This record gives sequence, C-alpha cells and structure tokens, in this order.
Amino acid sequence: MLMIIGQSLISGILMGGIYALVSIGLTLIFGVMNVVNFAHGEFLMLAMYLTFWMFHIFQIDPYLSLLIVTPALFLLGTLTQRYLIQHLIEAGHYTQIFATVGISTIMANAALFFWKADYRMVKTPYMSATLPLGDMVVSYPRLISFLVAIAITLLLFLFLKHTYLGRAIRATAQDHIGAKLMGVNIHRVYIFTFGLGSACVGVAGALLMPTYYAFPTVGLHFVLIAFVVVVLGGMGNVTGALFGGLIIGVVEAFSGFFISPQLKEAVYFVIFVLVLLFKPAGLFGLTKG
Amino acid sequence: MRFLKEYSFLWFLIFLAIVIPFIRNAFVLHLLIMVFTSVSLGLAWNIVGGYAGQLSFGHAAFYGIGGYTSTLLFVKLGVSPWFGMFAGGVLALGASLVLGIPCFRLRGTYFTLSTIAFAEVLRILAVYFRDLTGGSIGIVLQFTEGFGNFMFRNREPYTFIALGFMATCYYLCLWIENSRLGYYLTAIKENEDGARALGIDTYRTKLIALMISAFLTALVGSFFAQYLTFIEPESEFSLGLSIAITLPVMIGGIGTAMGPVIGAFIITPLQELLRIYISGEQQGLQNIIYGIVLVVVVICIPQGIYQWVKGGFSQKG
Repeated sequence: MLMIIGQSLISGILMGGIYALVSIGLTLIFGVMNVVNFAHGEFLMLAMYLTFWMFHIFQIDPYLSLLIVTPALFLLGTLTQRYLIQHLIEAGHYTQIFATVGISTIMANAALFFWKADYRMVKTPYMSATLPLGDMVVSYPRLISFLVAIAITLLLFLFLKHTYLGRAIRATAQDHIGAKLMGVNIHRVYIFTFGLGSACVGVAGALLMPTYYAFPTVGLHFVLIAFVVVVLGGMGNVTGALFGGLIIGVVEAFSGFFISPQLKEAVYFVIFVLVLLFKPAGLFGLTKG
Repeated sequence: MRFLKEYSFLWFLIFLAIVIPFIRNAFVLHLLIMVFTSVSLGLAWNIVGGYAGQLSFGHAAFYGIGGYTSTLLFVKLGVSPWFGMFAGGVLALGASLVLGIPCFRLRGTYFTLSTIAFAEVLRILAVYFRDLTGGSIGIVLQFTEGFGNFMFRNREPYTFIALGFMATCYYLCLWIENSRLGYYLTAIKENEDGARALGIDTYRTKLIALMISAFLTALVGSFFAQYLTFIEPESEFSLGLSIAITLPVMIGGIGTAMGPVIGAFIITPLQELLRIYISGEQQGLQNIIYGIVLVVVVICIPQGIYQWVKGGFSQKG
C-alpha cells in the first residue's frame, strides 16, 4: 500500500511539472493581457507535432528539438498577438476570447486534415528506461522532462524578477496604464509576453513527446487541466501555477488509482469549482491587483 | 420601426410554413432543421451570453441533459418523448440552479471557466455510468414511427417542430429584450456594480436568465436526439458543442434577437454543404473554414453582421 502511494506520488509530481509549465504559459498571458488564450492547448499540440516530425524526418532527439520548437512557438505567439489580438484590444473581451477560439478551431482541424487522427509516438531507445528507487520505479524520460520543466520554470522566475523586461512585464500585469506612464512600451510587452507564454508550451510539447503521444485534439486535454491549475494557483499568479500544476498532477495520480481512472478528470474539476467558490483568488492568496 | 421588424420576421415564418410542405428534397429539409435548431440554440444562449453578458461555454450541459433525459425515459421506461422533453427541460432548469447559484458569484472569465468545468463533469459522468447511459458508445433509439414516439418517417414534421422552436425562442427573446428583465440584463452587462447600486438584484436576475436559457436549450437537445435517434457523450456534452452553440450568435450579432437568426442562416448551411462536398478523406477541412469565418468576422466586424448591416443602412439613410 505504502509503495502504491509512493509510486502515485512520484508519477503525479513528474507529470505535474509538465502541467505546471503549460499552465505558467497560460497564466502569464492572462495576467498581463487579461485574455484567456483558448488556443493555448492547440499551441501545445503543434509543439508536440513539430517534435514528432523532427524526430520522424530528421531523427532529431525530442530533447534536442527543444532548441527549435521553443523559438518556433515563441514566434507563433508573438505573431498571434501582433496580428490578431492586438487589433482587438479596443473591441472588448468577448471578441478576444472568440478570436482565440477561432484559432484553436482552425489549428485542431488543420492538424486533423494534414496529419490525420492517428496517434503519433516518438520511439527512443530510452523511452521505457526506468530508475529503481527501492520498491518503486521512476520512468527515466519522465524524470528528465520533469527536471527540465522545473529548470525552465526557475529560469523564467529569475527572468521575471531580475531583468528590465521581466520587471516591465510584471508592471504591466499590475497596472498597464501605470506601466505605460512610466515609459514601458506596453504593446511590445504584450507581444513579448504572448511569445513567452507560447514558448512555455513549446518546451512542454517537446518534453511530453518521449512519453506521450500527439493527436489533433491532444491540446484540449491539457488546456482543460491548465484552466484548473491556473484557477488553483490564482489567475495571473506564476508561482501559484507552479504549485497548482504539481498539486493537480498528484491529485490526478491518486484519484486515478483510488477512485477510478475514468473519473480522475471529474475529481479535479470538482476541486476546480470548489476553489472558484471558496477561494476565487486561488489557493495561494494574492492574485494580481 | 420595431413593429416593422417584428412583422417582417412573422412574414418570414409564414413564408417558411407555406413553402415547407412543397419541399420534396430530404436534404433541403435536413438543412432547414439544422438551421432552425442552431437559431433556437443561439437565441437561448443569447439570453445569458448576450443580453446578460455572462459568457457561458457550458451550454452543452443543458443540451445533453435534455437529450439524455428524454432518450432514457423513452428507452428505459417507455415514456413518450413529448413528456420526456419537458422532463429534460425541468431537469436542466434544476441543473442551471446547481451551476448558477454557486457560480454567479463569480465574474467574467471565472464564470466562463466554471461553466466549462460543469459541462465537462457531466460528460465524464455520462461516459462513466455506462449501465445507464451506454458509456462512450451511447444509445441508439429504435425507430418505431408514431406521433407519440416523436418519430416520423419523413422529415416534414421535424421541420415544422424545429420551426416552432425557432419562432418560440425568437419571440421570447424579443419579449425579454423589451421587458424589465431585458433592461436589467443589459444593465448587468454594461455595469454590474452600477446595476446593483440602482437596486437590481443582479444575482437573481442572472439566475432567471440562465434558467430560461437552460430550459430552452434542453428542449432543443431532446428534439435533436429524437431527430438523430442517437446520442453519445461526446456529441451531447463536449466543449466543442458549447462553442458551436455560440458561433451563430457571435457571427450574427451578440445581444440581439436577429443576430443568431442571421448568423445561423449564413453559417449552418455553409457548414452542412461543406460536410457534404468535402467527404471523409479530407475530414477537418469544413471546420477549418468555419474557424476562418469566425476569425475574419471577429476581426472585421466584431459587432456581428446584423449590427454592421443595420449601421451601414442607417448611415446611408
């Protein structure tokens, strides 16, 4: 029994690292621009397919393709913001949400059209390698993915905390008019933040591929989890999203084992609604503003 | 001016009612049924999403409750879908309270996310309780023709029922638009705190709007389950459906009774025709086009086609 609990805990935390990274991207964009990017999941799907195709065509290792997928997704994010969302800032909240819903529809169906509904996997020599840990086993690629995800997250924290651009992003998130008055070019901050948020799913997509599979609607599964995590951590709260991701990873692993694998999604959605009701600012208190 | 508008829609309905019996082409009737149901769903959603400005991406929940209630009552207990439909409506009304009472304390994006969660939980439960719901496989209704069974050999009766739904939803929306409830809802959309300061019980008003909306959505859900004689969780409760319900409204014009009518008459035939002409080999293509239309409309005419056309005319005049 103890072993099962330990095993669930480990696999939950390892998956939670990826959830955290996806959610940080979403919460960053929300925090700065007040827009929920409904295409966030499809950006992840694209990153996973990019990783798959680079492996399939050029035999590039998924972990190595990080270096290509991440900048590609950064670029996609900046373009989305620059040529789409930027035009809609005056038009109101609804239009921005529906614009991202439109992108998400286009992307998911374009993937279905061009790449078919097949599940795509990357077969690496290390895909089923494990690390024994007493009675328990730790999946080797999952451990690496988790460590990379956490490292990237920490880098992001340092960036937000200590660079000029990072401070400008945080200032814009707190009060965009104030930031503008202080000489921050907020349109550039918006573009950069959207890129940064999308780069997060670029990293996550590449990290997922060694242990997960890509299919056209894979984004939906992850974006729904990201919604839960983002609310759990407080919308716009990057630190909250990190812990929220780990918590949901563990909750998912435990409820999958102790309740039913089919009901694990229902469990975290119930948690989600409870958090919304009793602590809408997130488990970790302060949100922005 | 307003009376002209009301009568012009009435003439349109009368025209349709006269023309439908002469249509022999089953596909054209199917197209009309699809359009009428999307108009009805759009109008029902509009009460909460448009007039009250509470963006719901969970209306599939009510639609699915309608579909599952009438179907299960019919299959398991032999209850006529005519009763099942209203039972579904009442159940959806209850569900709207389960969603609304806690979640209308939340605002904006938080509310939207909670509606998504609500529909997702129902979808997961519908998959899980497979003894009752048939799980992911769903339920196929055995076709036995008869008025009491809500099953007809040709499509004409379905078309008339769908037309009736559309007319009911339209006039209900028009009535709401010009009633005290409608003004309250608009006030909530424009400024919720301001509305409260003026003495409007915003919480209760939003709940009433959601209840009406959920009831209508469930009726249409029951109807459509009878029309297709097949239901499964993915087509009944998915986020994709919730979004599809909102699209005619968004394209036609949000917060107006005419918007969903125009939106659905443009987008639904487009989608159905694409579905026919783009066969299985190229699946996804019709939804790509659908997505592109949405993005283009949102960028070029964010107020929707109806307001845009109306604005264009009044500028000239």
